[in-house]
Amino acid sequence: MAKKFDIKALKKTDWKKVAKDFWYGKPHGERRIGDLYIEKTGLYKHREWRGVKDTMYYFYAVWLYNYAMMVADIMKFGGIVPFAKGVWRYRWVGQTYLPVIHWYDRGLQGLRGEALRASPWHYRGMTSSTIKQFMRFFTSDTRLNGGKQNEHYKTNIAHKETVWGGIFYPWDGELTNLPLEMIPYFVTCHVNSHTVQNYIDAVQSIGLPGDPCPMCQAEAGLFVLDDVPDYAPAFITCNEACDASVASTVLQDWLFDKPLYALPMPMQFDDPLVHKHVMKEIEGAWKFIEEQYGIPFSYEKLVNKLKKQNELMEFEWEKWEVAAKTNYYPINGVAQALYRIYYSQYGDWEVWHECDAKVRKVLEKCVSKKINTFPNTRHRVIAWSCAPLFFSDWPTWAYNCWGLNVVINMDSLMFDMKIRTDSYENTLADMATYHMWAPMRRMAVGGMQHIFELWECMEKFNCDMVAMYDQLQCKGMQGVHGLFEDEFRKRNINAFWMPHALPDSRTVTRAELRRMINDYMTTVMHEEPLDPSLLDFDDSMIW
Amino acid sequence: MKKSKFGKILGKLLGATLLANVVLFIVFFFDLDGKLLYYVVEPFLKKHYDNMERKDVLKDSGYDVFKYEKAPYDM
Repeated sequence: MAKKFDIKALKKTDWKKVAKDFWYGKPHGERRIGDLYIEKTGLYKHREWRGVKDTMYYFYAVWLYNYAMMVADIMKFGGIVPFAKGVWRYRWVGQTYLPVIHWYDRGLQGLRGEALRASPWHYRGMTSSTIKQFMRFFTSDTRLNGGKQNEHYKTNIAHKETVWGGIFYPWDGELTNLPLEMIPYFVTCHVNSHTVQNYIDAVQSIGLPGDPCPMCQAEAGLFVLDDVPDYAPAFITCNEACDASVASTVLQDWLFDKPLYALPMPMQFDDPLVHKHVMKEIEGAWKFIEEQYGIPFSYEKLVNKLKKQNELMEFEWEKWEVAAKTNYYPINGVAQALYRIYYSQYGDWEVWHECDAKVRKVLEKCVSKKINTFPNTRHRVIAWSCAPLFFSDWPTWAYNCWGLNVVINMDSLMFDMKIRTDSYENTLADMATYHMWAPMRRMAVGGMQHIFELWECMEKFNCDMVAMYDQLQCKGMQGVHGLFEDEFRKRNINAFWMPHALPDSRTVTRAELRRMINDYMTTVMHEEPLDPSLLDFDDSMIW
Repeated sequence: MKKSKFGKILGKLLGATLLANVVLFIVFFFDLDGKLLYYVVEPFLKKHYDNMERKDVLKDSGYDVFKYEKAPYDM
């Protein structure tokens, strides 16, 4: 039955407050963001009203601008025809990247003021880089180009996503390095978590067990479902972080069937002999590239690119300084985490510098005007270990619901170094270190002294709480669970655990993760939520 | 007074821009882009991908995966 029009309630309405909420947006405690969702889907009945200024900013400078820039990027990197062919052929692009703006919505929900001005630039950088990569796939792919190995194909080199893009700097402008899994696997999990499930199921359907790391399963599953473009004549691989990755590389070698160079990451790397060995391995990779492509190694190009990468690192340090010592840092937890791991792994590219220049302006404004960017912060949180990729935007939810501000995370801190460019030996030595400090390696399975860098980082970033990820299928980190428990008790640290299966949202769901945090905040911290509508809601079918 | 041709074009342009802004804002605010992608585009594409003919990589790979079928350990 339709609701009756209540004239009494209308008379009681505080119109001054209504006008104020319309103009400035509701204050944090009154927003009830959870009420905006359509049940199960995570879609919005309507997008959030953030006040006139911030809603218009989000509409024009985030939503409309990014839709327009996506079209511009597609045209810039190859045009509509290869894009359409790629969408029609590959599930990972069609199913995943069309709803990319919803990925922005989830990560940027509730943001106001300068945080809303800075954080979307990180998303813009990642989106542009993603489009650049998948368009290069499509313009090179023999399957989409009548079986022809065109110029793009001949000048591409494939590599595993955890082989740092910097390895290929000596051929800048001559060769294009394209990580094999970064776009078909890694980024998809953040944008649309449904896609990856096809690949995990595919690899298990041929009889492989379900308990190894689901990342490795998905990467191999791409091949099982015949969903990998044929885009390069040669392949550089590595063992990523663990034995499961070695197994996925074996499958990739078999199914990709191309000349291959293995550039492993040592399991224990705090050893000068191992370090020297890795330097030799990198030189081996360079020799392999020279042999395969007939283009000589250029130290000058390497140095030029490294200098530019070092600029990115310098700005990152400036950002961390602000994040660690003030309340003026305008980047939210998910934007910080994803952007940092993306560019530090992919390597230098012009769009990172463009985005950093925009972020610098906002950062400087926040510092000079002393703007408290996350005013409802109750706890400064550091997130440690490997994050749930399907719910990488949980810090946004945690801030909106509980005032938990995830200031920094482990993945951001891994490649914490500049690379010397004063001599070939020093450059190579530093590149070896960078390669060994890979994702899921240095602070995940890289030895106790690195895993326990948490305590030092916690102090450095002035954090009072730890969000401890627990990747249920990572045999390495499972082994140190108890040690962390002991240390948290001994050091009297507030910490909550977040078990998850990396990309697979079916093992531990988002709702279960939220429930665990809710339980911790109520039973241990005895706190009340800032937005009770976000405590429990059904988003089981969300992208 | 007669409106100049330039004035008419400018008026039409302004009107069209305003209308485009209003329409786009409605799409944005009511998440119509999300709804279209979620309820129409994704199911359509999923159906297409699910029904696509794919190479059986275990059989059609360049590698002969069954060459070890009679391996010595296969007693």
